[in-house]
Amino acid sequence: MERVVSIGGRLQRLLEEAEEEARRCIEEARGRAEALLEEARREAEERLERAKRGVGVDDILKREEEEAKKEAERKIREYRRRVREVEKRAKENFEEAVSLVLKEVLPLG
Amino acid sequence: MAEEALELEARLIERVVERREAILKEAEEEAERILREAEEEARRIREEAEREILNLLSSDLKALRDRIIGAGELEGRRLLMEAREKAVSTVFQEVERRMREIAEGRDESVDYDAVLSHLILEGVEAIGGGDIIIQANERDLERIRRMLKEVRREAERRVEEVNLKLDGKPIEAMGGVILRSVDGSKIYYNTLEGRLARVRRRLEGRVAEVLGVI
Repeated sequence: MERVVSIGGRLQRLLEEAEEEARRCIEEARGRAEALLEEARREAEERLERAKRGVGVDDILKREEEEAKKEAERKIREYRRRVREVEKRAKENFEEAVSLVLKEVLPLG
Repeated sequence: MAEEALELEARLIERVVERREAILKEAEEEAERILREAEEEARRIREEAEREILNLLSSDLKALRDRIIGAGELEGRRLLMEAREKAVSTVFQEVERRMREIAEGRDESVDYDAVLSHLILEGVEAIGGGDIIIQANERDLERIRRMLKEVRREAERRVEEVNLKLDGKPIEAMGGVILRSVDGSKIYYNTLEGRLARVRRRLEGRVAEVLGVI
């Protein structure tokens, strides 16, 4: 019975140590989280300050430029499609247009 | 008795080990949750900063975007306009080619003598009669000489007094005539090129419509 009591004491310490380790683990995570947030806040503030001076915004301007170029290319593609349509219709109606002009130019009564 | 004690001891150890593992696992999960939330918050802070920067740059970005897309729009319109102009020009080029064939007598479907006669009589009516000199290219002068008698008769029918003469010096033209009063006060240009140019000014829009390009 004495042996059981003795073991009980050691086991109790083991649990206390585990709880202590758990507290350390959580504290460490809180510390890392705080550092992470601090770093994010500092970076954000610094980036904003630099942006106000027009520094460090090249990536944003570049991104906008790329997007705008894509949009411009899309517009040109659409116009090229309309050009092909115009060429097709012009070919179909060519003779009618030529006849119209010839009738006007040549006075044949 | 000793056996019972050993069994009791084993159960106790087992329970404590389980409890210890549970405590550590819970702690690890809690730590992971804390870090996950912090990362999420950090991302939110960065995104918020990016939004503020975008807001700050909004006018610059708009100007950049407008400039690039505007250039694309302009280029597209230019292409379309060129295609329309080319389509219309092709019609007038074809008309000119066919007129040249007609004037050179290579198109038998058109009576070019009749065309010349119309061109002369139109000029006579516009000038209103009197002594009128007719100019034409060498080929058309020949044709007009052959049919002048008939043209004179028709001209006299249309205006009271008219006297048509040919200027023997040929002009540079695809075809058609230039008529002028003897004193030079009235000139009527009725060359084929002239007529085509006038028709083109007047009919370009209509031709574009017929072609279906506007």
